[in-house]
Amino acid sequence: MLIIPAVDIIDGECVRLTQGDYASKKVYDTNPVRVAETFASEGAPLIHVVDLDGARSGIPENLELILSMAAVVHAPLEVGGGIRDQETVEKYLNAGVKRIVLGTKAIQDRTFLQECLKRFGPERIVLGLDAKEGKVATDGWVNTSNSSYLDFAKEMKDLGIQEVIFTDIVRDGTLTKPNFEAIEKLVGFGFHVVASGGISETESLEKLKNLGAYGAILGKAIYEKKITLSEALKTGSFASNLTKRIIPCLDVKDGRVVKGVKFLNLRDAGDPVELGKRYSDENADELVFLDITASYENRETIFDLVRKVAKNVFIPFTVGGGIKSVDEIRRLLHHGADKVSLNTSAVQNPPLISEGARAFGSQCIVVAIDVKRSGNSYKVFVKGGREETSLEAVSWAKKVEALGAGEILLTSMDRDGTKEGFDLKILRQISDSVNIPVIASGGAGCLEDLRRALVEGKADAVLAASLFHNQEISIQEAKQYLAHKGIPIRL
Amino acid sequence: MIAVIDYGASNLQSVCNGLEKLGQPFEVVSSPEKLVDFRKVILPGVGAAGQAMERLRQTGFSRILPDLKVPCLGICLGLQLFAENSEEDEADCLSIVPGTVKRFSRELKTPQIGWNRVEFVKKNRLTEGIPTGSYFYFVNSYYLPTNDAYTTGTTLYGVSFSSMVQKDNFYAVQFHTEKSGEIGLQLLSNFCEKC
Repeated sequence: MLIIPAVDIIDGECVRLTQGDYASKKVYDTNPVRVAETFASEGAPLIHVVDLDGARSGIPENLELILSMAAVVHAPLEVGGGIRDQETVEKYLNAGVKRIVLGTKAIQDRTFLQECLKRFGPERIVLGLDAKEGKVATDGWVNTSNSSYLDFAKEMKDLGIQEVIFTDIVRDGTLTKPNFEAIEKLVGFGFHVVASGGISETESLEKLKNLGAYGAILGKAIYEKKITLSEALKTGSFASNLTKRIIPCLDVKDGRVVKGVKFLNLRDAGDPVELGKRYSDENADELVFLDITASYENRETIFDLVRKVAKNVFIPFTVGGGIKSVDEIRRLLHHGADKVSLNTSAVQNPPLISEGARAFGSQCIVVAIDVKRSGNSYKVFVKGGREETSLEAVSWAKKVEALGAGEILLTSMDRDGTKEGFDLKILRQISDSVNIPVIASGGAGCLEDLRRALVEGKADAVLAASLFHNQEISIQEAKQYLAHKGIPIRL
Repeated sequence: MIAVIDYGASNLQSVCNGLEKLGQPFEVVSSPEKLVDFRKVILPGVGAAGQAMERLRQTGFSRILPDLKVPCLGICLGLQLFAENSEEDEADCLSIVPGTVKRFSRELKTPQIGWNRVEFVKKNRLTEGIPTGSYFYFVNSYYLPTNDAYTTGTTLYGVSFSSMVQKDNFYAVQFHTEKSGEIGLQLLSNFCEKC
């Protein structure tokens, strides 16, 4: 279940109301962007932003502020309040807002709602269903309509609405309990139901999760510190003891481990067999071996080297670099690799991903994606970063998942070897877009960078080379730091 | 001497490297009639259940395996093949232990990849000297539900599932014990020495 913290805005400030009454306004922070950034840094999967001025007046009043929020905050945003025409919807979506919440307008104008669903897609349009004593409420909750919210919901279902945010106004901002009965009914209609209003304790979250709610919006409970976001996230998530992984990477050239900056200026960093053994003994969670020369002539030497490294490595071992065929994958596995990483050949010959997955299982096929920022998006590069492709990073990631990749190894070329930290923006985008594990690579410079990639970037694993080879930080130090910060780690 | 079954559907090398490191003599065996010569048998496995069962049938291992009297260890997919059947490819399996192998909820990242805890719920020779709650390396999209009679270890990933089972001379682990560091090697060594 998604835990969605709310940022409600009046006059450019972050506020909370009680039961939708504008006179009850309480200001929590004068800078809503900062509030949203904090939520994102704590790992919120989505942030619910409401332009309360807009909800009342019918025109977006805090648009610029919300657009600037979308530009800097790493987590996806959903925005509602005063959105009454397609131009406004488009403005928000173009700025990177993930979903638009339509309430009043939808109730008054079904044609508008249908057009939005058709033009932007049902995954982008969420119905904000606000109820007061069984009736639908409108206009920032100032007015109540005559229709029952259940009849209305049925009608919306027929129009193609998939997701509903249900708020019981009588309970909103009261820190009591959500309207479980109503939520259960809406779930029964087949909606993705996000519960909002009156959630103040983890028991309520637990109950919502069991009722099959898709998400829960938390407002006052967080601002009044009744519940912390991290507690809520823990309650909302499926119980699992799976840990995050720390993965040292051996970039191998001519039989030696090397390391460069932004894929250039390579320096010698040691012997792959020795380093591999050291990392296995030091409790690294996995080991990656990338043959960065990847030339065809020295394949036999690479197979031989892989075999020697594998003999001393009793943690999962991934090998990549220049792999072009299912037969080569088979040979690498026979030499002791547990998984292979495909990069250039995956781009040039995408069916290789599915053939490999069919022959050896998805878990065996890692697709490495090297990306470089280009304006507002990210481009995929191949051939060790030497060649730009026409592929956009997020859509390529989705494609490789569909083809059967078991994991994505995402490297930011802009950050590689710079120690400036991972590129959290693209990392988060890709983590949110696929349902397979994502390994973050490129830019780790300190322990905090690792934590941010795992929490803010939502990576499942972090890969680093320079950081560990130079023994600036040991695997154990990294693990202890992360465990201390509350991240599940195998010590 | 330990037999490592090669039925053309799994990656044997890591298991062999583990046995070699432990100094345990082993042989890779690809014809079922040879199994009588061995005191222990390991059934490794990665990939999909349907294809693996097909290979076990083609090679004849599927007929011999359930009747073996020597200690057998199923690893990863090997554990799932011990069940009655699997939702994956709707495969009929070896029916050594009861139960149907199911897929993890779509809301969870699948495959589950990484280190997860195993709670030892029954005393078991495989886990001698290993603390309960230890981490092992998992890679799986499917799981065998728990069973009071045969589950010896459980792991939490959305559901609590059987990460270890035992029935008579048949032992199985869902995790890759050969890739689970020192503790994993100890479990493999326990199988060789204590089972």
